[in-house]
Amino acid sequence: MIGYIESVINGILMGSIYGLTAVGLTLIFGVMKVVNFAHGSILMVGMFAAYWFIKLTGFNPYLALFVVVPMLYFFGYYMQKIVIKPIFEAEKHVREPITVIIVTTGIWYVLDNLALLVFGAEFRVAETSVTGKMVEIAEMYFPLAKLIGLGLTLLLGAYLYWFLKHSRMGKAVRATSLDREAATLMGIKQSRIYNVVFGMGCACCGVAACVLVPFYYVYPTVGVPFDIKAFVIVVLGGLGSIPGAILGGIIIGIIETVGAQFMAATWTEMLIYAFFLVVLFVKPSGLFGLKQDY
Amino acid sequence: MNLKKFIVPAIVLAMGTASFSAYAAEKVVKIGNILPLSGPSASVGIQGKQAREMAVDEINKAGGIKALGGAKLKLLFADSKGDPTTGVTETERFINTEKVSILTGAWNSSVTYPATQVAERYGIPFVVEVSVRDTITERGFKNVFRIAAKDSWWTRDQFRFLADMQKEFKTPIKKVAFVYENGDWGTGFAEKWRGLAKAAGYQVVLDEPYPSTASDLTPVVLKLKRSNPDVVFMTSNAADAILLTKTMTDLKVNVKAIVTSGGGHADPSYLEAVGKNAEYLFDIVEWETDLNRPGLKETNDKFKKLYGYNLTGEAVDAYAAMYLIKDVLERAKSTDPNALRAALAATNLKGGKTGLLAYDSIQFDQTGQNKNASLVVVQVRTGKDGKMDRISVWPKNVRRAGYKVVFPQPGK
Repeated sequence: MIGYIESVINGILMGSIYGLTAVGLTLIFGVMKVVNFAHGSILMVGMFAAYWFIKLTGFNPYLALFVVVPMLYFFGYYMQKIVIKPIFEAEKHVREPITVIIVTTGIWYVLDNLALLVFGAEFRVAETSVTGKMVEIAEMYFPLAKLIGLGLTLLLGAYLYWFLKHSRMGKAVRATSLDREAATLMGIKQSRIYNVVFGMGCACCGVAACVLVPFYYVYPTVGVPFDIKAFVIVVLGGLGSIPGAILGGIIIGIIETVGAQFMAATWTEMLIYAFFLVVLFVKPSGLFGLKQDY
Repeated sequence: MNLKKFIVPAIVLAMGTASFSAYAAEKVVKIGNILPLSGPSASVGIQGKQAREMAVDEINKAGGIKALGGAKLKLLFADSKGDPTTGVTETERFINTEKVSILTGAWNSSVTYPATQVAERYGIPFVVEVSVRDTITERGFKNVFRIAAKDSWWTRDQFRFLADMQKEFKTPIKKVAFVYENGDWGTGFAEKWRGLAKAAGYQVVLDEPYPSTASDLTPVVLKLKRSNPDVVFMTSNAADAILLTKTMTDLKVNVKAIVTSGGGHADPSYLEAVGKNAEYLFDIVEWETDLNRPGLKETNDKFKKLYGYNLTGEAVDAYAAMYLIKDVLERAKSTDPNALRAALAATNLKGGKTGLLAYDSIQFDQTGQNKNASLVVVQVRTGKDGKMDRISVWPKNVRRAGYKVVFPQPGK
């Protein structure tokens, strides 16, 4: 019995990290209606940044948050400003600009191969003060790094919720998300909102990167499995929904971990997609999705 | 001035020079190499690529292939990404467009299996240096030659090793668990393990495949912990080997021994990444740096100077494959596929640069399998400098002098 409780809690812990990787993706999609295929690569860039920060300074790994998060924010901000914005302008009259998807795919390939070129194909693991530290509760062991990850996920979710609901910028973001033409007419500068949103989406990857590095390995294609999960989670939770992304991540984590206790681990992926299809069948807009279409 | 009079001879002259210089160019023998140079097995692919480049550089500097008038070897590389479809396309490109004389690769058994099929169809010899799946040489093909041991030999030796350890340390083993990646390689090993465990009278408490690309292996480790085995057999690529080892240490999985199957566990970046977590692990490999072989130290020093890390099993097999090809070309005195195939089948290569391998000679049986290939079991221990060290322990005659094997491993 204890084994099963342990697996449920471990599922929640890993799931919250999946949720963390999906939050940024859902934010960008919700506002810009753009699927950012480079999301996993941006996570990877964040992980390399966090790894080198920890390795070179030897500070507490979570201090890397103060470096990596702003770094990725500006990375995303200028990526949207320099690379994506011109395409939006060229395809002004298209509701969902397809070319942007191709551009983000291009960025994905460039970043992954650049990392391979610069850092090589070695697997790197950061030895930090929380690496391998376990919290023991009634003969069950939980990694401290993942517990911190759960805490940071909830904090980030709460902050984003507050930001979108109550801050002036957040209101502008929501207005743009609802109707970008009307928002522009009300004096909101659309391209600036997009810069900020893309920056914030990438900054969320920065948080996920700092959470992962203390217990995970860093590698040029490390983002790929997280990327694929993040896409499923975003649709499962409802496009553009922050709580949906976090809850969706946790559900996937639980299915994956608990499912593997009853069947071979290779089958849990099937289980995840079966659950995904059932949700889409019952509620096509996802768990927290709004009725109106995007 | 009549331009025509000037231009036409100029063109004729230019064309003449071009064709003359092409004629005068050195004769080259093209070797097509299909390797995973990106994707999850990229690090081993790159080891193989670097070892090949070093070997071919040495061969060319020493005068190339003398029987072909000093022809130089030319390496062509294709990135399979570890993907069978890409591997097949690249094999066809090598044969049809590049007109290679001989092929090598492709590390991932799942790529080598269909790629060798393509080579067989076109009748181009394919030297498989590493891929271990049995069936690669068991399809009655005429053009496929494998240097490394096949996976039934790997699993056979893993169980022999375990039997010997029980005898040597008088510690009986009852329950075994299998944890393996769900590719061709892992499932192939697992199939053999089942039969061997049954024959040896072990109880199999867990038989668990997992996807190599999984982002979290805690579920598998939790299951492993609950099954409470004495010995865990594992087949993993580098990324999952790292995750499994770390998670097993974190969740305090206590077993008497962990026996792994090379691959990810033999990857240099694996020990670098997991450090002390890998202490006492047993890994079976085709080759190890501390083997007592002539010329090993010099070659290893040269390799390390060039690429910054010690030779690995993959690298040595790839290195030996290039010298095998050199030997074959010298004997065939031609680049004709039929002549090459006949020369490969008649190979009896002893000593020299291929003497770095753990066994004495390369000789192919009728299926194209090197019948002399053998294996070594190593134990991972913390060395004096605090770095992890791989120490040869089995068979007993290759055990590093003065080393005391730790079996069973102490509890965590």
